[in-house]
Amino acid sequence: MKPFSCLIVVAAFICGSTLADGLKPAEQRFGGKTEDAESPSFRRHVVPLASKLGCSGRECHGSFQGRGDFQLSLFGYDFAKDHKAITADKEHRIRVNLDTPEESLFLQKPMKQVKHKGGEIYEEGSWEHNVMLKWIQEGAKLDVEETGAFDRLEVFPKEFVAKKVGDKMQLKVVAHWADGTVEDVTSFTRFDTNDESVAVVNELGEVEIKGKGDSHVVAFYDNGVLPMPVMLPVSQQVGSKYPKVKASTPIDKAIAAKLQKVGIIPSEVCTDQEFLRRVTLDVTGTLPTADEVKSFLASKDKNKRQKTVNELLSRPAYAAWWTTKLNDFQGNSPAQMRVNQYARKVNPSRDWYNWVYRRVSENRPYDEIIEGIVMGTSRSKPDQSYKEFVNEMASYFRRDNPVDFSKREDMPWFWARRNLRQPEEKAMAFAYSFLGVRIQCAQCHKHPFDQWTQSDFNSFKAFFEPIVYTGNGKGSDPDFSPKTLQMELEKEAGYNRKDPKQNKNRLLRPVADKRLAKGEPIPWQEVYIKTANKKKYTPAQIAKIKKRNPNFNARVITPKVLGGETMDVKYPDPRTPLVKWLRAEENPYFARAFVNRVWAHYFGRGLVEPADDLNLANPPTNAGVMAHLADGFVKSGFDMKWVHREILNSDAYQRSWKVNDTNQHDDKNFSRYVIRRLPAEVAADAIRQATGSEERVKELASNMEMRMIGATSIGGYRGNNNYMLGIFGKPARENNCDCERTVDPTLLQTLFTRNDPEMLSQLSAKGGWIDELARRYKIKNGNNGIDRKKLGQYRAKLVTTRKQLANLKADLPAKPGDSTDAAAQKKYKSQLTAYKQREQSLIRKAGYYQKKMAELTPKKPEPGQRAELPEDVEYLISETFLRTVSRYPSNKEMELARADLAKSKNVVEGMQELLLALLNTKEFMVNH
Amino acid sequence: MATHTFCDGVQRRDFLKVGAVSGFGLGLGLPQFLAQADEGRVNPNAKGKSAIFVRLAGGPTHMDTFDLKPEAPDTHRGEFKEIKTNVPGVRFCEHLPKLAKVADKFAILRGVSHTLAAHALGTQYLMTGNRPLPSLRYPSYGAVVSKEIGGTKELPAFVAVPKQGNYPTGFLPVEYGPFETGATPTAGQAMQVRGLALRGITLEDVDRRKDMIAKYDQAFGGFAKEDKILAGMDEFSAKAYQMMRSTKAREAFDLTKESAGITRLFDDQSFSQSCLLATRLVESGVKFVTLNLGGWDTHQDNWNRLKDRNLPELDAGLSGLFTSLEEKGLLESTSVFVTGEFGRTPKINKRTGRDHYPRAMFCLMAGGGMKGGQVIGESDAKGEGPKDRVISPDDVAASFMHSLGIDHTKEYHTPTGRPVMIVRDGTVIPELFS
Repeated sequence: MKPFSCLIVVAAFICGSTLADGLKPAEQRFGGKTEDAESPSFRRHVVPLASKLGCSGRECHGSFQGRGDFQLSLFGYDFAKDHKAITADKEHRIRVNLDTPEESLFLQKPMKQVKHKGGEIYEEGSWEHNVMLKWIQEGAKLDVEETGAFDRLEVFPKEFVAKKVGDKMQLKVVAHWADGTVEDVTSFTRFDTNDESVAVVNELGEVEIKGKGDSHVVAFYDNGVLPMPVMLPVSQQVGSKYPKVKASTPIDKAIAAKLQKVGIIPSEVCTDQEFLRRVTLDVTGTLPTADEVKSFLASKDKNKRQKTVNELLSRPAYAAWWTTKLNDFQGNSPAQMRVNQYARKVNPSRDWYNWVYRRVSENRPYDEIIEGIVMGTSRSKPDQSYKEFVNEMASYFRRDNPVDFSKREDMPWFWARRNLRQPEEKAMAFAYSFLGVRIQCAQCHKHPFDQWTQSDFNSFKAFFEPIVYTGNGKGSDPDFSPKTLQMELEKEAGYNRKDPKQNKNRLLRPVADKRLAKGEPIPWQEVYIKTANKKKYTPAQIAKIKKRNPNFNARVITPKVLGGETMDVKYPDPRTPLVKWLRAEENPYFARAFVNRVWAHYFGRGLVEPADDLNLANPPTNAGVMAHLADGFVKSGFDMKWVHREILNSDAYQRSWKVNDTNQHDDKNFSRYVIRRLPAEVAADAIRQATGSEERVKELASNMEMRMIGATSIGGYRGNNNYMLGIFGKPARENNCDCERTVDPTLLQTLFTRNDPEMLSQLSAKGGWIDELARRYKIKNGNNGIDRKKLGQYRAKLVTTRKQLANLKADLPAKPGDSTDAAAQKKYKSQLTAYKQREQSLIRKAGYYQKKMAELTPKKPEPGQRAELPEDVEYLISETFLRTVSRYPSNKEMELARADLAKSKNVVEGMQELLLALLNTKEFMVNH
Repeated sequence: MATHTFCDGVQRRDFLKVGAVSGFGLGLGLPQFLAQADEGRVNPNAKGKSAIFVRLAGGPTHMDTFDLKPEAPDTHRGEFKEIKTNVPGVRFCEHLPKLAKVADKFAILRGVSHTLAAHALGTQYLMTGNRPLPSLRYPSYGAVVSKEIGGTKELPAFVAVPKQGNYPTGFLPVEYGPFETGATPTAGQAMQVRGLALRGITLEDVDRRKDMIAKYDQAFGGFAKEDKILAGMDEFSAKAYQMMRSTKAREAFDLTKESAGITRLFDDQSFSQSCLLATRLVESGVKFVTLNLGGWDTHQDNWNRLKDRNLPELDAGLSGLFTSLEEKGLLESTSVFVTGEFGRTPKINKRTGRDHYPRAMFCLMAGGGMKGGQVIGESDAKGEGPKDRVISPDDVAASFMHSLGIDHTKEYHTPTGRPVMIVRDGTVIPELFS
């Protein structure tokens, strides 16, 4: 603690009261007669009280429009602005009336002495009133300078473990200031609960237990945010009464410690078949094949689970699936990038994917990968000329023997996104992708659940201001500039700027494509760092610019990392210190954000949840696990596979989904496996694999180009129009939120797997397993046998014929009115005959088409008809189960399937129906 | 201390509480929770019960369709003449003769104006009623309607013919997304619509498949009822079968079931047939239908393309739509909104075309209690911008929602907890409801 200093204006306040006084409750210090009350401070008392009372809330004066011409900063942290808003209504001078403080609107409104839409907030003579009144009586001063920096909060007790519902606990919140002041601020603190079903907290700081479970109650005061654990054990089995649970890994030890406290007993470890399916889907985004299931189940090796984990992590599918996951977090959004205006084959999203894929498959350190992305600059060397640059770009995209883009040291497209043009957008995307922090709130106001202020945001934003993405490259050689290259391209395309009939893009695109294929240069947009410093303006110049652009800010802000020190940016590139900060051991976010996301992938929930929302009010549900993984990740040299192995080899990951009495409601302490739907790409691949021929299954394992979990599903500039991926929740990667990927089940998904032609045609398609069986058994495969094209043609013809028939009725000749007119009668008869003939011919035609259609449609089996079952029917049934739900059928299921097959027209059709049924079970569609 | 409520509305604790909610439900996702939290009721007094949104992709020129300027100089005025309509004083393009006979059924909004001249951005603006933000995808109207109004047992709430485009639900959960038909209907044929059509199978086959799945789907036993995800899947499964078995659902897509009197209101082109389909879908209980007519991006050869293709198609389809809705007694309860992403440059370019121009455009609104037979707003003498009053896409969107009884100022919460109004900046256009 710093030595006491009474030199400044607040001397009276600090020195006039002893430490003990400051620790008395607010009612004692500010209640009673106003003249006896303590001197309140604007920062320490007035603003927090206004916030706590709701005055600066979003629907009151904290809204961006304010209320009744009075606006306060949302969540109250902009002291200067709030002070001005309260005291400086120059026209009226009535909001704060220094001559007769009692008549200040600032006091009369909340007491409803004058009309106040917000109602009565406090009563006259209350301690709250005293705080506000006395502050005005003493001159309504702004005292941010005098109070100095806020240091930290303390909450007593440190945690609250309750015995029963209804138990209560009064919290005491103590603020520590950098100048040594210590004060009980319970009455000035905003409280919140993170889970109302466990505990609620009122404005006095009294916690009441509402139900079993554990959560946090959070105290907010000034810039301090402090969560306090509260819990009511789920069962009586706590402490010494807790049964012995094996916990061998550090993760399991940390989880066991927490479970013991909350009285939750974990589920058993899952079976081998459950483990193999779960881990293969989670690690590689792939269903295990039938053969893999068989050999894993047959293996007697005691370490087979561990070995499988290692083997899975070495597969190309691991790299493909985790590159997709990393691309989600990094925001590799195809629709936001178009790095070349003319060349249509350039797909930066694909380049980005491939660049990351190479590194994931080589297991390069995570920090190195992120460095390559953050430091991405289009010119590969600092002194590269424009000519060298466009030639290098051409070398990546030429048809013959192109240079591998993924071998570049850096990957510049992170900064090339259209939704990242502004420095604040870059700052938000950076914080989201690499820190797992949502700072967008602080762009406009103090973050409601974290320490971030608008000034933190602006200082952080300053890092990103020099990062530019344009088509007018820097330091151009006059003989070879973007402009000369553009002219060259236009000339070659025969484009004449003066000819209005010509369509520029239509002319230039094929030429650009051709040049690119040949490896000749075309103009490129590029990412680079603007080196020039912000110009110093005179006040007159600033005023002039502000007229044009009211948002213009001439102040040069020194970049400051989040929660850290100001950076003395001597580097030419501000990203260099930023990366240095990222990978520093003491960085509070970088490693945690990664391990938390990996955890969230394996458990359906982060240690911090939402997984991309690390903030002070949202602590991890198991701090021990978080610390172990984050520290270990840094120590391992940011080895991603270390994190995967550490998690996958824990019992926690291998728990069964089967619940017991104590853990059936647990979804945050990792005492059981939480069932989840397969992600979009994984589901698409799983269906493809389960229905694929044996050869196709092998191909799918090695050729990632065939897989949706890899680059194939990325889509291009026009987005991704794959219906299945869309309805199953593949993310657009545009919103800086992990929540963009969703695994919620929906009705359209069910309709898709039950009856969508895209789904059904996969079952019977050439190259599929059913097709393979049909060949093996020389049976014309049931539905597959239908010539759909022909069927459709006949159906169309039938429709036309029926239409003609209907139209014909209009031509029915009218009977002549005069029955004696022989000529008319004769004419009528011949017309009628012709009509009848035409009608008959159309009816015959319709009948013919109907017959043809019936021939093409498979017949229903006669009742009692039984398909002849081949000798290996049990093998076929087992394969169907292994292919879909990755296990052998039970005896009962085997019997059911035999019976179903026997009822079908033939074994192939029966197999197709069985396969379709299994693909539509929940067991198939979820990971469990 | 006097009591007070926090002004922040739904607060952080509400979504951190998700863990707790799922304590009972096990695994209720955050979006679902937020969806529940935001679930609201529509105003029962609103006339509109369902909606049809017609997207004119590419940005139709206002100058040659519904906002002609016969007095403008040659540099601006197009080739087309104005004709009278069945509403005195309302005149528009000569190539829309059928619409001219039903001009009393829809309102023309002129001088609608914004500033986004790129297709993607303009489209996002007009399909959501919110100016696009780089950091946030807004939900399209259809997603909002399917959330607020919901669907029936037999048909999806939101159908797009043939497609809706990228990321239709924005920040709302995918469950509010459109059922995409993937194709447009062909005249005189039953549409084989994905997921619902029974191709080569009978209802018995559907039942047999259903039973068969139930037989093999026993892995989770009683826990399937306890677990939110599993229970949800079972619920959707039941609903899917209801739809597949539903004669009503199938017939809604079967244009051959339509009466001759209605069918003859349309021509055989795909847009016209899509309009016919839309009326049948609305009649059967679908709450929101999106239709699409493209080809409006007429940078060159504007008048020939309009005259030969776009205008006749639009004329036949929309006139059929308005008339058939009226004849079926559905116009009053169906809000129709027709719009492109922007207008086109009033000044004719050198390629006898017009380029992107968001400062002046038109929209058509009909049904759902909105008063037809009127022109609202006005563009200036050369069609270069609103004359006095500016109608923003947000205002049109607010009115569209209002006609459906949806409070456009209602707040949703994005999955990151940010409160966002359905239409952030709009004001309901009073003339539409007077």
